[in-house]
Amino acid sequence: MKKFLALILAAIMLLTLVPAAMADSPVQVTILLCGCNVTDDAAVLEKLNAYLTEKIGVTVAPTWGTWGNFDQLAQDAVNTGSSEYDILFTSSWNADEYAPYAKKGAFVRLDDPEDDLLAEYGADLKAALPELLFEGAATEGPDGEKGIYAVPGFKDFATMNTWDVNVTLLEKYGYTLDDVKNAGFYGWGDIFAKVKAGEEAERNGEVFYPFIFEGAVVERFVNGTPIVTGDANGLLSYYMNTEDVSTPGAYGNVIFNKFATPEFEKFARQMREYYQAGYIDPAIAIGETATDTWRNAQNAANYLISSEVSLYGYEYTTSEQRGIQVAYVMTTDAPFIDNTSVQGAMMAVSANSEHPVEAFRFLNLLNTDPYVMTLMNYGVEGIHYNLNADGEVEFTEARASFSPWRNGVGNVTLLPPEKGQGADFQQRFADFYAASKKLPLYGFTFDSKPVENEIAAVANVKEAYALSLFTGAVDVDEKLPELLSKLEASGMQKIVDEANAQLKAFLGE
Amino acid sequence: MTTAAKKNTGAFRLNMVSRKTESVFHLILGLFALACIIPFIFVIIISFSSENSIRQIGYSFVPSSWSLDAYRQVFNLGDALWRSYFNSFFITIAGTVLSVTMCVLYAYPLFRKDYKLRGFFSFLSFFTMIFGGGLIPTYIVCKNLLGMSNNYAALIVPMLVSPFNIIIMRTFFQTSVPFDLIEAATIDGSGEYTTLVRVILPIVKPGIATVALLTALGYWNEWFLCLLYVTKRDLYPLQYLLMEMQRNAEFLARNSSMIGASGAQAVASLPSQTMRMAVVVFIVLPIACAYPFFQRYVVAGLTIGSVKG
Repeated sequence: MKKFLALILAAIMLLTLVPAAMADSPVQVTILLCGCNVTDDAAVLEKLNAYLTEKIGVTVAPTWGTWGNFDQLAQDAVNTGSSEYDILFTSSWNADEYAPYAKKGAFVRLDDPEDDLLAEYGADLKAALPELLFEGAATEGPDGEKGIYAVPGFKDFATMNTWDVNVTLLEKYGYTLDDVKNAGFYGWGDIFAKVKAGEEAERNGEVFYPFIFEGAVVERFVNGTPIVTGDANGLLSYYMNTEDVSTPGAYGNVIFNKFATPEFEKFARQMREYYQAGYIDPAIAIGETATDTWRNAQNAANYLISSEVSLYGYEYTTSEQRGIQVAYVMTTDAPFIDNTSVQGAMMAVSANSEHPVEAFRFLNLLNTDPYVMTLMNYGVEGIHYNLNADGEVEFTEARASFSPWRNGVGNVTLLPPEKGQGADFQQRFADFYAASKKLPLYGFTFDSKPVENEIAAVANVKEAYALSLFTGAVDVDEKLPELLSKLEASGMQKIVDEANAQLKAFLGE
Repeated sequence: MTTAAKKNTGAFRLNMVSRKTESVFHLILGLFALACIIPFIFVIIISFSSENSIRQIGYSFVPSSWSLDAYRQVFNLGDALWRSYFNSFFITIAGTVLSVTMCVLYAYPLFRKDYKLRGFFSFLSFFTMIFGGGLIPTYIVCKNLLGMSNNYAALIVPMLVSPFNIIIMRTFFQTSVPFDLIEAATIDGSGEYTTLVRVILPIVKPGIATVALLTALGYWNEWFLCLLYVTKRDLYPLQYLLMEMQRNAEFLARNSSMIGASGAQAVASLPSQTMRMAVVVFIVLPIACAYPFFQRYVVAGLTIGSVKG
């Protein structure tokens, strides 16, 4: 019995030693990322962890979530209250659920008055990111108070709606970029006709479609209707002033049924005209083939005008990729800031994390230290990329086994420029977005809860018609009234009224 | 009826349906068989189509040009492909062996009338067929309680016991094993284990084959467990490799305007459509090759319940 007691006592003594011994070894911080294609991170982690251990006594163990599995992984981790991930990627779009998760208490409030991580450990971070990003990251927590629940990513945080123009092809037929700009969407008929005829003659009658785009997005370009945050099904339109996006459009601050305005009808008729003239590839009017067709045409440089929600400096990348000169023509006077773009890619500290402080200190370093950001994003110099004489990045083949989603990691302005962008690219990038303007709608989120039954019904009706109207694939005279009457019957007006009531309350604040 | 039968071509067509009805049946079954096989043939054709052909005329039974690019791309996956292939086989074989063993051992006592708790254990397995715990509790039990995360156990254990298979197996015991046989074996001095292994099991082979086939198909096609519990690529089964390509493509299609330009890059790096089809071919082939070996038993297994002369 004595021996047994002695053994137990010895065991207890040993156990008490364990935490003391562990205090010296670095704390492991686990991260769940999104949109990555990483099969081999050994070289990166070796360098990164050596650096982090020395700097802040932390090592990281990333889980490189993909587009396909991220939602499920994040949802499971949050719903089960698991402490598996200390840091989670989050955003306001798709199902990445920033606001609902924050409301639910899944994330640590970073500017908590009682335990202000941001003030205590985040001075560098506050200095490095534009104030506007923190403003945009504020959302309601479980206590109903607004707070910052995630570190926003410094990326192309303003939306830049552009026409993607194949300048090489355009100039071949004697037009200039200004012709495209001046004619505008409603005046491209002649250009399309000439290019189509010319190309088809050259290709022995093989069909050429000059106008290939993403249907749902082009309607927003032409009519100047930004996404109303919270309107997941694209049912609502708010008309902005494309001459000065910081002021309301001709209608003022009102939300409409997207399909019921004269602007929409005019747009749909024009599309129909282009479609019937054979300028539009019918494949982009079919949901299953639309995206592939549009992207394929772009990548093969087999188009004249296309659509892109672009970012600053993107023409370098695409011109090189496609072997043509690409230009992006903005449809508004400046890139505009809406909730979606500001909350587009963020990193939150999990409320279940056992090391929230270490996790946040890592986030602070990741977003302020170019060495850490470049390692996490581009990999190891000499393995995944090389720097050329101008200090620009040229990726090697090993990049294929290590490509995280660039915007999903954090502050992209810390990254060295890519080939062709020029040494001062990041400065120009930051300046460009610093000049972007806030929409009058900025900060407004439509809460669809009160009308969710109507939305479910209306969304189905809309699904059946929208894409074919956006792309001109169906007769406007027949289908538009049909759609409108069906929407009306499913309770569309109630949704619009609710949205306007909420908007009024928001602006009145 | 007798006159009608006589009008037919004599004695050979006694007891048979009329030629007209028969041809209608054949037609229906033939169409059904076609409906089953055509999609797969279509997949094979698409996997051999060139990307250009798909770009120009879409999916077609007669592509404008053929190409082996898709298969080249699949083989370029290299280790990832063979690793996944190995995982799929390993999971399927280990899972099927374990699962069938457990199924037989569970079903056998339920069939024995002299087992007192059979009512209770029947109910226990049947109950889970109707009421599941739901995704989140299952997830917590598997991942946090049992530690099934990023290991083979996560891909095998959650599917080990299938109440449906247990019921099939029990019914199979009931219809093909007379209880007298067990009594006879006991009288001959056979212990319980000998009776089960040497006397009963040889009789129920077709039943075991049926259950084994169902289980193996289940394991081979499983990807959701992998989505839930596995993030290490070394452990991906082939089916999940395909599913991930598919889910990535769908996600990017759905959100292209949200991700904007950086999404375009991602789309460009996605596996081509023909490649995805080629992976489907890789997935279907082994199971299609295995099927003929099971078929004999499965037919026997399905028909054995009927009354025999």
